[in-house]
Amino acid sequence: MVAILPDVETMIAVLYFGLFAMSFDFISGYTGYLSFGHAAFYGAGAYFVVLASNGKIPFVATGTSFVFLLVLAGLVAVVLALLIGAVSFRLSGVYFAMITLGFSQVLYVFVRGWDYAASNPRDGPAVLERTEPFSVGVPGVDSLNLAIGQLAGDSVEGLLGFLNFGTTEVSYYMIGLVVLVCYFAMQRIIHSPFGRVLVAIRENEERAEAVGYNTFWYKLGAFAVSAFFAAVAGGLFAGFQRSVSPESTFYFLVTGDALLASIIGGFGTLAGPLYGWLFDESVTEFLSKTGEGGGLLPYLREHLGDATMTTELWNGLTVGQAIDTFLNGHAELYIGVIFVLFVLFVPNGLLGTVRDRLGGPVGKQVAARLRGDDR
Amino acid sequence: MIESTLANLVVMAGFVDALGQFLRPGNLAAVFVDGLAKAAIYVMIAGGLTLIFGLMGVLNFAHGSMTMIGAYLGGLIMIGLVGGGTGFGANLLFFFVALAATFALLAGLGGVVEVGLIRRLYDRPPVYQILLTFGLTLILDELVRIAVLFYGMQPTSDWQSALGTKPNALAASVDLGIVSVSGLSLFEIAFGAATVAGLWAFLTRTRYGMIIRAGSEDAEMTEALGIDVRRVFTVVFALGAGVAGAAGTLLMWDPAWGASVPLAADTLLPAFVVVIIGGLGTFRGTVVAAVIVGMTDATMTWWFVNEIDFAGLPEMTIFLILVVMLILRPQGLFGVEEVGGH
Repeated sequence: MVAILPDVETMIAVLYFGLFAMSFDFISGYTGYLSFGHAAFYGAGAYFVVLASNGKIPFVATGTSFVFLLVLAGLVAVVLALLIGAVSFRLSGVYFAMITLGFSQVLYVFVRGWDYAASNPRDGPAVLERTEPFSVGVPGVDSLNLAIGQLAGDSVEGLLGFLNFGTTEVSYYMIGLVVLVCYFAMQRIIHSPFGRVLVAIRENEERAEAVGYNTFWYKLGAFAVSAFFAAVAGGLFAGFQRSVSPESTFYFLVTGDALLASIIGGFGTLAGPLYGWLFDESVTEFLSKTGEGGGLLPYLREHLGDATMTTELWNGLTVGQAIDTFLNGHAELYIGVIFVLFVLFVPNGLLGTVRDRLGGPVGKQVAARLRGDDR
Repeated sequence: MIESTLANLVVMAGFVDALGQFLRPGNLAAVFVDGLAKAAIYVMIAGGLTLIFGLMGVLNFAHGSMTMIGAYLGGLIMIGLVGGGTGFGANLLFFFVALAATFALLAGLGGVVEVGLIRRLYDRPPVYQILLTFGLTLILDELVRIAVLFYGMQPTSDWQSALGTKPNALAASVDLGIVSVSGLSLFEIAFGAATVAGLWAFLTRTRYGMIIRAGSEDAEMTEALGIDVRRVFTVVFALGAGVAGAAGTLLMWDPAWGASVPLAADTLLPAFVVVIIGGLGTFRGTVVAAVIVGMTDATMTWWFVNEIDFAGLPEMTIFLILVVMLILRPQGLFGVEEVGGH
């Protein structure tokens, strides 16, 4: 069957990485400070969860409940963010982007050579000590916990009499629950007076300062909040995958992915990066290889006749070869093209553009129109 | 207690020993030459970046990709030209032909990118230029990956013939009295020095160089003098891309780098570090910073390979220098605050 919609497994990745992209947007989209080393916090969260469940973090037992681990990982990232931010926020613009990039690369190279974390640090650690899966729910109340995980996890049967969920669906809803809570928390902060100051800093930092705000502390605070949620996202990633690698956590291209998601979804719209990453993953999956839920490639192979497939296009290159060459696992190319087109022609991103058209946040506008309010 | 003191003493003794080893003239000279060779590479990969930033205020994320493309192009041209094994002189001549061709092709690409894409963004906040060039790296890297797979250049051994075009003299070591160094290191040093001299002469001794410097000092005033700064932007972007391509051609033979798609990121980050340490947009700063980073890198590599077992540290020191530099002197060694207006 040709899948157009992404499968549940992909959607789980959309959720946790979407949360990371949102946390990136929280600092970069709202204050205008491009945190190019944000992967440091994502990685810190992911590594914290794996190391804690291997008993390698002092005073943290291997069996500590996952929700506690997420909060602890977040707090570790807050400390890290305060250290990095205290130094970095003396700079602005390109310099800020570069110093944060520098810090995250220092951590990346360090983790890649740190044999305390894993016997082969280049490949990264996996959860070995802790055999039971990570679970999301109320700590201490077993009946209110549901386990997540790629292979191991809980399945639910007969909920409300007719709902059945497999292990992947349960992981999807439980990770989604955490992401939703984090989203509402960040949204609450953005819409508070504190968040207004952040926007003021983005629009005109000198004026914000002149009005009497000590912008340094606001920026540092926002950085810490953002790092907290980035680490939660990393923790969710580690909890679901049960293994992490330096490349998938601390590497600067991880921040690059969050940047892609933010720009495509809408820079400075909190929910935008989630949609951006959904878009990104959908394109990737649609164009990915056969057997990985790919949509276009198997479809074309099935439905184009042999005659078409062997037609020569140019210089001995047949249609079949061309399809294989340009579609087989090269989604990155099209993502790049889409990204450049967005930067050039849709600078406000998906959600930002929709909001501009509607004249306000989608939920409010749609509700108002449904009610028939006079506007 | 006693044990730990003893252990400390042993460690100290080891350290003193190692220091003695390090300070022996032969080792010092080897590290010095190695550092110069590394500095030559750093200045090559960072030179174009600093030119572009200095005049246009665009931090070109695609710079690494252009270096990477240069490595592949240089290799392909060499394979085409050399064919079988020829003598040192002929190979070196072919190398300069390949270099010139790569420079021209990459400069053309740079010009097209500036006119077609970046020009649309000058009236937007500078972050959009970073974003655009970041997207460009994704496209370029993936296109190269497709080409490499399609033509089966790597990982099969076809590509080995590109490495085979290296003149034998460069692979052999040269005896310089107290130290013997590889011919490639010497070649890299000569090449880097020639590039620096060439760019410096272009910037300070030609009329066009003068216009470029004027444009980077004060674009509006230059415009008012009747010079089309937009066109100068195109030339500078093309020049920067060309230098990146030339750097790639140099890296193609170097066993520590070589042509591969990840070379884009591997060169981009050190290039950023060098450019920022030197002061964004100052060519002189970039040269000094390249020497500092190259020397530190060589020294650290010696220490951590020979004495202390933590292979990641030399790589880490580059970024540590960046962080320390930004803390102590954010504008870089020779930078002026607020370069490029942001």
